[in-house]
Amino acid sequence: MLKRRRLIFSLLAIAPVIAIFAYVRMFPIGEILRLSLHKWDILSKNKPFIGLANFQELFGDRLFQEALFNTSIIAFGVLLITVPLAMVLAALIFYRTRSRFAGFYETTIFIPHVVSLVPAAMAWKWIFDARLGPLNALLSNFGIEPQAWLFDPTLSLISVIILCSWQALGYAVLIYLVGFKNLSKSLYEAAKLDGASGFQSFWHLSIPLLKPITLYVGVATLVSAFNVYAQVYVLASDAQGAPGRQVRVLVLDMLENTFRNYRVGYAASEAVVLLVIVLILTFIQFSMLREKGTRS
Amino acid sequence: MKRLIAGTAPIAFSAAGRAALLTSVVGAGLLAATAGANAQSIRVWSGYPELAPFYEHVAEGMKAEYPDINVTVEAIALREHERRVALGITSGESAELLELATSIAARYLENDLLATPPADVSAFVSDPANFGAYFVDAASYDGTVYGVPLFRGQSALYYNTDMLAAAGLDGPPTTMEEFDTYSEALTQRDGSGNPTVSGWSLRLSGGGAGITEKFWINMFQHGGEIIVPAGEGKWKANLASDAGVAALSQYLHNLYTTKTVTVEMPADAEAFEREQTAMFIRESWVIGDIASKAPDLGYATTTLPRGSIVNPVQLYVAGEGEQAEAAWKFAMASQEPENLLWLLDNIGWLPNRAGLDYSEILAKTPALDAFVSYPDTYEFFSTPAIGPIDEVMTRTAAALQAAFGNADLAGDDAAIRTYLEGVDSEINSVLSREGLLGE
Repeated sequence: MLKRRRLIFSLLAIAPVIAIFAYVRMFPIGEILRLSLHKWDILSKNKPFIGLANFQELFGDRLFQEALFNTSIIAFGVLLITVPLAMVLAALIFYRTRSRFAGFYETTIFIPHVVSLVPAAMAWKWIFDARLGPLNALLSNFGIEPQAWLFDPTLSLISVIILCSWQALGYAVLIYLVGFKNLSKSLYEAAKLDGASGFQSFWHLSIPLLKPITLYVGVATLVSAFNVYAQVYVLASDAQGAPGRQVRVLVLDMLENTFRNYRVGYAASEAVVLLVIVLILTFIQFSMLREKGTRS
Repeated sequence: MKRLIAGTAPIAFSAAGRAALLTSVVGAGLLAATAGANAQSIRVWSGYPELAPFYEHVAEGMKAEYPDINVTVEAIALREHERRVALGITSGESAELLELATSIAARYLENDLLATPPADVSAFVSDPANFGAYFVDAASYDGTVYGVPLFRGQSALYYNTDMLAAAGLDGPPTTMEEFDTYSEALTQRDGSGNPTVSGWSLRLSGGGAGITEKFWINMFQHGGEIIVPAGEGKWKANLASDAGVAALSQYLHNLYTTKTVTVEMPADAEAFEREQTAMFIRESWVIGDIASKAPDLGYATTTLPRGSIVNPVQLYVAGEGEQAEAAWKFAMASQEPENLLWLLDNIGWLPNRAGLDYSEILAKTPALDAFVSYPDTYEFFSTPAIGPIDEVMTRTAAALQAAFGNADLAGDDAAIRTYLEGVDSEINSVLSREGLLGE
């Protein structure tokens, strides 16, 4: 009887949270799935059902393919830069906590994460400027010709990856620092007694022990990078005076299809593709780390 | 508050006193309600931030005749404006007065989402003494007037007179061939031969459909348009025509053969104002921009070799009732000659209304002359007011941007034509999807 009352109380206690979650998270996803099967121009009352026609069109659409390619390159580029770099930086900060500059290092690395995105991207736009930017000035010291960072198809992608990684790094370092602080000291003391160097301890102890943190940081970074939009928008916006190539990414393509081309159903099908990609990648990451965790 | 209560003696009301108090309260309430009912607050949504002072000027001028109409102006960048209009109209939360170009308004008119004006406004717009037939058509849908014509985007060539003089050129270019020779003569280079000041600033990058619009203007000078009519409300792509090939060839010639401009160089109005380019094609608003940002710049304007784009913009009303009536009054107030001349004089956009006396403004700002005085043979064109025009422009912009980055295309007209045939095919597939493709 008591158990049943507890169960009812527990269910009632979490019901509001579940209701809110369902309304703000699950309902929009359901709506997107529904819209992706319809043709709708946002203005008309008619939304004819067209089955999978939107998806069929997507895979022959040059701009969608370009957006998907660019987004994937950016997302994996950010992942590959952010995760290892964050782990190394967190390790350096953690093992140097006795330094009186430790707080300064942490703050310096975390600041990009809390700085407002638009002014930060504007600053990077100046850094990447082909004629006046400090990046090309720096490279010229090494005899490297000025590069069109914001126009060249490859360099513009690299520019976005650099900007996104710079922003993602602070949060990832913070999470890794929490992970490092929770590692058992006795293991490191034992390793030291066995003659392990600092690097060996890091390689053979820290990295395996930090797998759950790596999983979380990896998933969060990848999902966030797949949703890249504001960075590319700012880097190419107001291009009248400062040239910038529009790096087409999925969210940008969705917004254009919705509000400029008035093709909401088509944009919804793009959102479904993005959702499926992110779900698959998250599942793969979880699976890989779980398998390795089991073996170890 | 505490002090007041503490210092006030308790009051005992008689029955008559209570009745008098009640009457006063009810009377005051009714008065407030009546005043509230008469006062109308309307919002104006504009896609041009520089136009905010104009709308505020109109609102200020209305105060004497309509003291109860309160106007709030919300002017933001065009692309964001288009988004909020789409969201606002569909959710019933839009401003009462909307500033929209013909091509954008077409979608809303097709779906009956904008109000028809009162008879006096329709009659005013339809009166040939007020507007030419072109502007009446632009403000109408299916023969019914919906909008009040306000201003138009129209292009001309801006050129730096000091740079032309220094290069020994005694006047602006008058043919597209001369644009190339002038560009070469006007380009300034560093010791390594790299251009530091472009001869002719071209729109080569950026987001949105601006790249296509600017290319369209240049292609028009070569004798063609990107989309052409193909019978009974149908259209077809025309990029892979001689004019399209000539226009893209000219871009690539300047980029890679004579190298008078590069993708890295500052461009457009900002570059012109900073003397980083000698020539560029733009609308009349730049004159106001120059006056505020670079008042000492030595420059002049001239008409283009063949003609110009015209993008008419109208004021539309969303909703109905008293607020809509107030919005129409505002739209009509914007048509006062004093307001329209203020618009041209202070902002630089060209009013669409006929019969305005520009002589004083032209005497003060000669650069406006190229926009209001042109040869009889001068031609005008507009982007078609069809639903998918933005998608066509965006897709074309992406393709053109890729072409501008392809040095291998320079000087190879056959390759350019093949490339443009691919772009035509993409445009035609969009037109076909929307049932607009002609033979």
